Amino acid sequence: MSDKDIRIGVYICHCGENIAGAVNINEVAEFAKNLPDVAVVRDYLFMCSDPGQEIIKEDIRKGLVNRVVVAACTPRTHEPIFRRACEDAGLNKYYFEMANIRDQCSWAHWHEKEKATEKAKQLIAAAVAKARLLEPLEDRYVELNKNVMVVGGGIAGIFAALDLANAGFKVYMVEKNPSIGGNMAKLDKTFPTNDCSACILTPLMVEVANHPNVELITYAEVESVDGSVGNFKVKVRKKQTYVDWEKCTGCGACINACPPKARVPDEFNEGLSLRGAIYIQFPQAVPKKAVIDPDACIRCSGRWFGEEPRRTKDGKPILAPCEKACPTGACSRDEPRDPNGELIELNVGSIIVATGYKVMDKKQFKEFSDSPNVITALQMERLITATGPTEGKLIVPSDIPKYLEWKKKVEKGKEAELEARKPKVITFVSCVGSRDNRYHTYCSRVCCMYMLKQAMLLKEKYPELDIYMFFIDVRTPGKDFDEYYMRCRNLGIKIFKGKVGGVQKLPDERLLVKGYDADLGKPVELISDIVVLATAIEPNTDLKDLARKLGINVGAEGFLRERHTKLYPVDTMTEGIFIAGCAQGPKDIPDSVAQAKAAASSAASLLAPGKMKVEPLISEVNPEKCTGCGICVELCPYGAIEMVEYNGKRKSKINETLCKGCGVCAAACPSKAITLHGFTYEQVVAQIRTIAKKGVIEEV
Amino acid sequence: MEVMEGVPPVINLTEVARTEKEEFEKKVSELIIEFGAENLLACMQCGACASICPLARVGFEWYNKKLIKAILIGMKEELLDDSTPWACVACNRCTEICPRQVSPFEVMFAMRRLMVEELAISTLAIEGDRSLYEHGHAVYMTGREARKKVGLPEKPPTTDSDEKALQELRTILKNTKLAELGLIPME
Repeated sequence: MSDKDIRIGVYICHCGENIAGAVNINEVAEFAKNLPDVAVVRDYLFMCSDPGQEIIKEDIRKGLVNRVVVAACTPRTHEPIFRRACEDAGLNKYYFEMANIRDQCSWAHWHEKEKATEKAKQLIAAAVAKARLLEPLEDRYVELNKNVMVVGGGIAGIFAALDLANAGFKVYMVEKNPSIGGNMAKLDKTFPTNDCSACILTPLMVEVANHPNVELITYAEVESVDGSVGNFKVKVRKKQTYVDWEKCTGCGACINACPPKARVPDEFNEGLSLRGAIYIQFPQAVPKKAVIDPDACIRCSGRWFGEEPRRTKDGKPILAPCEKACPTGACSRDEPRDPNGELIELNVGSIIVATGYKVMDKKQFKEFSDSPNVITALQMERLITATGPTEGKLIVPSDIPKYLEWKKKVEKGKEAELEARKPKVITFVSCVGSRDNRYHTYCSRVCCMYMLKQAMLLKEKYPELDIYMFFIDVRTPGKDFDEYYMRCRNLGIKIFKGKVGGVQKLPDERLLVKGYDADLGKPVELISDIVVLATAIEPNTDLKDLARKLGINVGAEGFLRERHTKLYPVDTMTEGIFIAGCAQGPKDIPDSVAQAKAAASSAASLLAPGKMKVEPLISEVNPEKCTGCGICVELCPYGAIEMVEYNGKRKSKINETLCKGCGVCAAACPSKAITLHGFTYEQVVAQIRTIAKKGVIEEV
Repeated sequence: MEVMEGVPPVINLTEVARTEKEEFEKKVSELIIEFGAENLLACMQCGACASICPLARVGFEWYNKKLIKAILIGMKEELLDDSTPWACVACNRCTEICPRQVSPFEVMFAMRRLMVEELAISTLAIEGDRSLYEHGHAVYMTGREARKKVGLPEKPPTTDSDEKALQELRTILKNTKLAELGLIPME
């Protein structure tokens, strides 16, 4: 069909035994030699290795071949390697085609060697058929915006932002809560060194907030994302705070003024205490600003924002207590406020998603009773930490209301006796909702260690406490972790192999725990004052939604999916979007920080050159053939196609910066006016025909 | 075997802890450590010791691993009634195999010492002591008839047939704690 001089080299990889174990290489090589335009056929143990690539380069340099077909593994990982080899040897790298005879052949048909060999022949023939029709293409470049958006202001987001900001990139940090800090801000101490969480976290929160290259956008959520790598257009919705943050100094006067009727569970204390309708997330919040929760506000002055105040008989306006208490006018209700907040637009070149996790609620586990003294481990953190509802005083959770009453009296200068019960026995239960087919099949990875940490902190502070821990097994795979576990054992903490199957509430608010000791092979039971459940770490409720907006994948378990588990652990299938921390899967602080720094460095190395090479495998419209039907415009998932005037007629045109080369438009075009370069109509049809003819290449 | 006698089908940990705190002067684990098993707390219940323990293999219930676990959770009465530690042959394979250097053999022997201290000595041990005092052998010598039949002297050429050596041994035993305990008659 072509009068061009086409000399195809077919290179067959054994992939060790991976291919050669099922495919008869010699037979396939003999077959390939007889395919049209094939000049050279060679095979090698590992084609992708340095000597393997050298075989290809040598043939190109000698002029033996000018098209290359490699029959090996998956183009997903190896196509770029072989393309580069072609380029190095002076051949246009788009004169390369790959036949996947491993993943789609030898692996899939391992026990049917004859059929596998036959299939390998057909796949190679199809690749050769396509290779005869390949056209040389040139790479293109896109300009990159050097700003980065980091979604999530926890420990992972903070580190990603700091590394990028220090490298000179402008960072927008978007956080859905009023303050950054994330879950780590709720923790008392951190394993395996037991350093105080707040002491290591809060200075970083301040550092990131004060960094000249970082712009904090808290109490905000990503609304939509358009564009692609280097040029994302992001809409962020800043939620309505109902407090003028320009004026708010974080003094807290409004919080004390908010009436006791307006109380809801305090999210920061994991529901162990209540907060007012106007609140500051926690005392060390950054930024330290108050917000009003409109659902909790009881509108005690009878006045909402922008409404005329009611007046006293002598005409004075009646202000809401918070409004009255505020010394700066930040709580003023004079102006109306949009409940939808404000929409802001950001232009960024890259996005890092570090939205963290939530822990499972204990409500789902009826077997552990509904007693307030059965708590999650995150609640235990709040109970033992100095910033918690009891200032770190250890009492049974059912007596926290008594404690708060007592504290109020004492603060008012009254004499009062605290009648809260101190626990004598605390029981820990592992794998609640993790490694459980009814909830989450995965291991939450950090529970064993934080349970040991809490037990250790408690036992060291209160040696008279009896602590029982029930594990399916103790998992301590980390640096200094098993030594940490041994420290617990040496403290006399009683550790059982076996899970607790039931907790019964006793009339005196104590708990009957039913467990099992695999070592003695017997059921055990005990009476405990507090039961701590290590409930599973799970993806945030809105993570799927965010992933959809970003065009990135989530796995079956609901966490963000990385591009490749081992080789691209912080990349996603969407170029320019990286992931870090627990949004990717359960992990501890050191691992979250490591991922954050990896994501920051990936974003930095992507954006630093200012422009990026993009594969020319994109679609192009032939305006002469286009009938202007517009089907492609609707179908394009990237919004890359628009209708334009061409010689007085409506024709579609593809924006080559936005086109990702998915081919949807080319497949759908009724007049075949769209060509997807690298996958042209003729090339794909030639491949299909060859397969249909069982490996015989037809001349068209 | 008298093993597991007195251990109810469900172990009541609250009761175990209460007894340990209110009725004993010292925690069982502390006593065992004092009696020589210094690394007791390092045990992580891997079970390597039990895999090669002759006691476990012939069916004794409170073999090394289980004995350690019971001590760690504070059980005592149930263990004092048991004869397993006296059956330990001190082969020390557990000492060699233990990845935590707990030396389960030392725990067995510490348990013996605790039993003696508490006068909770199994008949197995008393018989052994009596035999030691009378014949110079902790394991009672049988087969005297068979020896005669094949033309050997009734007693083997050991302390058993050496009146002088036997007297020396008895003198030593009379000066040990065994005599103070009065478990076996010593004339």
